Amino acid sequence: MSAVAPPPATGELTKDQLLEAYRVMRTIREFEERLHTEFATGEIPGFVHLYAGEEAIAAGVCTHLRSDDYVASTHRGHGHSIAKGCDVAAMMAEIYGKREGICHGKGGSMHIADLSKGMLGANGIVGGGPPLVCGVGLTAKVKGTDQVAVSFTGDGGSNQGTFLESLNLAAAWHLPVVFVVENNGYAESTSPNFHQAGVDVAKRADGFGLPGISVDGFDFFAVHEAAGEAIRRAREGGGATLIECKGMRYFGHFEGDQQTYRAPGEVDDLRRTRDCLAAFSRRVTEAGLVDADDLAAVDASVKELIDDAVAKAKAGADPTPDEVITDVYVSY
Amino acid sequence: MTVGIVANPASGRDIRRLVAGASVFGNSDKAAMVFRLLAGLGAAGVERALMMPAGDGLSRTLQRQLTSRAPHERPALVELAMPLTSTASDTTRAVERMCAEGVRAIVVLGGDGTHRVVAKACGDVPICALSTGTNNVFPEMREATIAGIAAGLVATGQAGPGAVRRAPALVLERDGAAPDLALVDVAVTSEPFVGARAVWRPDTLRELFVTVADPAAVGLSSLAGMLAPGTRGLHVRLARDRAQAQVEVQVALAPGLVTPIAVAGFEALQPGAPVPLAATDGSIALDGEREVERRGEDGATVRLADGPLRIDVDAAMREHATSVQRRAR
Repeated sequence: MSAVAPPPATGELTKDQLLEAYRVMRTIREFEERLHTEFATGEIPGFVHLYAGEEAIAAGVCTHLRSDDYVASTHRGHGHSIAKGCDVAAMMAEIYGKREGICHGKGGSMHIADLSKGMLGANGIVGGGPPLVCGVGLTAKVKGTDQVAVSFTGDGGSNQGTFLESLNLAAAWHLPVVFVVENNGYAESTSPNFHQAGVDVAKRADGFGLPGISVDGFDFFAVHEAAGEAIRRAREGGGATLIECKGMRYFGHFEGDQQTYRAPGEVDDLRRTRDCLAAFSRRVTEAGLVDADDLAAVDASVKELIDDAVAKAKAGADPTPDEVITDVYVSY
Repeated sequence: MTVGIVANPASGRDIRRLVAGASVFGNSDKAAMVFRLLAGLGAAGVERALMMPAGDGLSRTLQRQLTSRAPHERPALVELAMPLTSTASDTTRAVERMCAEGVRAIVVLGGDGTHRVVAKACGDVPICALSTGTNNVFPEMREATIAGIAAGLVATGQAGPGAVRRAPALVLERDGAAPDLALVDVAVTSEPFVGARAVWRPDTLRELFVTVADPAAVGLSSLAGMLAPGTRGLHVRLARDRAQAQVEVQVALAPGLVTPIAVAGFEALQPGAPVPLAATDGSIALDGEREVERRGEDGATVRLADGPLRIDVDAAMREHATSVQRRAR
């Protein structure tokens, strides 16, 4: 009989790795909470879709990825971008539409991308990410590298043909990809009770012969453990995996959404009982792995980072009219 | 006369599908099981079934099945009116409500974890334990129609006393926490976080307590079963490495995951006698799922105790057949 060699346990995360995971989650939270406030002033052009509440998913997945691995994101892409290592000040400037932005102010929130970091882009097309990572996976396979690609999709996106076609393609071609479904309770304003036919998202993998699992999206350690195993498997030639992370977003579908579809007190209750940052802090300090002072120091440096990013973004320059078609079209 | 139904919409989808190859048991399958269960309950004369509302499409798939098929001898299906949190506390509250309404039996569809939560809340209302996956020890893989008939016979008083028996349990007591319960096993692991919950890395196991040492089971119980088959209540200490091992056994830790485990020693549990847990930083798993994160210095004990009443489907059906034959003569 053969035994499966287990990878290192989640408990073997070093103090530095735990602090880095916390820094990523805290940066996303601070970034989004700040955008929530700043968007209300009317200074930010376009739309933003905020990721607050779901930080454990982006951090739990992306801490396993190298800079030459790729992620494809969603319209709610700030968290994935930060977790994949995009420059936070350049992201903020992008959202403000400034030349200093990560795409020189032409893309805004829904097109934040940095290929040098393996960030293929936020994506205004619901269900747009999964086909992209199949392309990345095929490239890695043909070139014989051990790169892995991860797509993020919402519960609404998991109903799109592109998502299901990509599961099929990844299974048929045995691609090194991971499909992460962030089931955050609402497809825009519609609960899965009304938009998903009687099967759960994890089960959809079954139809393509792929493993599909479901984890608590509020729990960094649950996501980290599952994603670690799926990414290791993909890297070693084991093929694709579907991971459904069950969570909730704290803000509306977009900023300005009246959220009449939510139960009264729903978000307050989530923030009080399920918050991923609060749970992470409590658990790592109770386990004696990290001191509360270390976490406070991260909080302070993140706050400074975001204050600085907002100040720079506000002070940044608008693109000029003669730049209107630069960096927009690419010839291959 | 009413029977309760708990079908856990979240069971059967944990990390063991990835690391071991267990299958996903979907909610449309569970809905079909409840549909067949209702046919069995109705055949035994149960008038009303009180069900925990189940999200993730389970309730709606069931409603579709009920409306699209010809009416049959089925009990009236009533869903408890309660808000859902999508956590184990839904099951706890549903079972409490069922017991308050005087259900005569509760049919449970889920894994070991679901049954553990039901057992903590159901008092002496008998459980009919049905497995919704490949990964379980306490509930059985059993056709729901037959289980429904057996549960119905018990609920309506048609079954004899042999149809219900007392299951053992393990009681976990910790300083400053309410006692907790396991139906199959308590495992002490060195993993500091409950993480993805399932216990699947053998190198993190430190010690193990089981209610029944069953070598034919899948999971931690089979380790105990390989050491002392059939024993009721066993405490197993794992060796850190092979040099310390008294014996090494191959164990089916999860479906599709067979792995050698080195054992330092084991002894039978005396009913009612608390055994202190080793002072290990890590987490405690109840029925295969990490539940409690613990520092080594936090005192904790485990003892073998009486658990819930469970319906023995084979015994119920045998007794029923005997009484039918008697009446025919």
